[in-house]
Amino acid sequence: MRTPRTLEVWKLGTVNYLKSLKLQDKLVSERKANRIPDTLLSLQHPPTYTLGKRRTDHNLLIPEAELKSIGAELHYTQRGGDITFHGPHQAILYPILSLRSIGFGARSYVEALERSMIEFSSLYGVKARAGNKCETGVWVGDRKIGAIGVRISSGITCHGLAFNIDPDMKYFEHIVPCGIADKEVTSLRRETDAQLPSEEVIHEQLVTCLAKVFSYDDVVVKEDPSAILNTLEDDD
Amino acid sequence: MAARFLWASRAASHLRISVAQRGFASVVLKDLKYADSHEWVKIDGNKATFGITDHAQDHLGDVVYVELPDLGRSVSQGESFGAVESVKATSDINSPVSGKVVEVNEVLTESPGLVNTSPYEEGWIIKVELSDAGEVEKLMDSDKYSKFCEEEDAKH
Repeated sequence: MRTPRTLEVWKLGTVNYLKSLKLQDKLVSERKANRIPDTLLSLQHPPTYTLGKRRTDHNLLIPEAELKSIGAELHYTQRGGDITFHGPHQAILYPILSLRSIGFGARSYVEALERSMIEFSSLYGVKARAGNKCETGVWVGDRKIGAIGVRISSGITCHGLAFNIDPDMKYFEHIVPCGIADKEVTSLRRETDAQLPSEEVIHEQLVTCLAKVFSYDDVVVKEDPSAILNTLEDDD
Repeated sequence: MAARFLWASRAASHLRISVAQRGFASVVLKDLKYADSHEWVKIDGNKATFGITDHAQDHLGDVVYVELPDLGRSVSQGESFGAVESVKATSDINSPVSGKVVEVNEVLTESPGLVNTSPYEEGWIIKVELSDAGEVEKLMDSDKYSKFCEEEDAKH
């Protein structure tokens, strides 16, 4: 009989990117030491461009110096994937999971993240699909609605997925999104006429879809973000 | 997929393979040692060559980038020394033994896919000078590793 598996979910609201990186580093160590269960961060970022390990900054189309004037930051990370934009009205999930405990490898993990976003899209009648080879992510036709960029160290995941609810699409014009030049970026708002509920509800639905795809038995939601965000202040 | 199966069958006919309960078996070579993070190591006197196993490359997907360490750098058993990227995921590669990096497989910079198509031969990642030969005792032999892979896959 399989031991019941628990996912602990932290709803963090809007979090500065660097702060979220620090938090993930801390949680990855905790997860590796088995001091916490599989954990999921549900959040948004202020306008932020990020690059992956391959540092493909040729895909940033405006000078770095100009980013401040458009109210955005740029960060280099250790995740996989190319350049992307994060901002308000884009739902971000960072699962901090032990892949060994759930018997997943990188490929099956990323496919499950894609399935989570596809399930979620279907709640609004949007027919999304996983990307073709070399186009990891979630697409509606030829338009990208969800992006993935993950890091796995000692079998523990961090970074994760970003799903466009209704972000300001102008920000995507300053990059070659994910390094794919001839494809558009889209959002849930653009793909459905359905009435969208509050963003809080939308985030909860996305979390539920992920928990279902990963077969978690219990989902424990932690509503007080200050409990983990404030512990970071001490390290500054 | 067919070509890869032929390669594996040819390799398997000269070597022992693990027969998993389901589908295609990953290739495990008899004369190598294995870490539980799915790296293989070949010992040759006080030098060791390592890479990732067939099981690892299959679970990663197509490798598009390999981050190699600098020559002369120290590596420690169980610690990360580099990474591979596949399907938008970077996965750390851990060192199965401790030592000093004396050679890296530069070919992987242009042809990262060799890690998938030839994980035990052309896809080797680094060579080190061992600092503690005794550490090899902590690694798994091919039988133990085959069983380990079966147990891991059964969890999914």
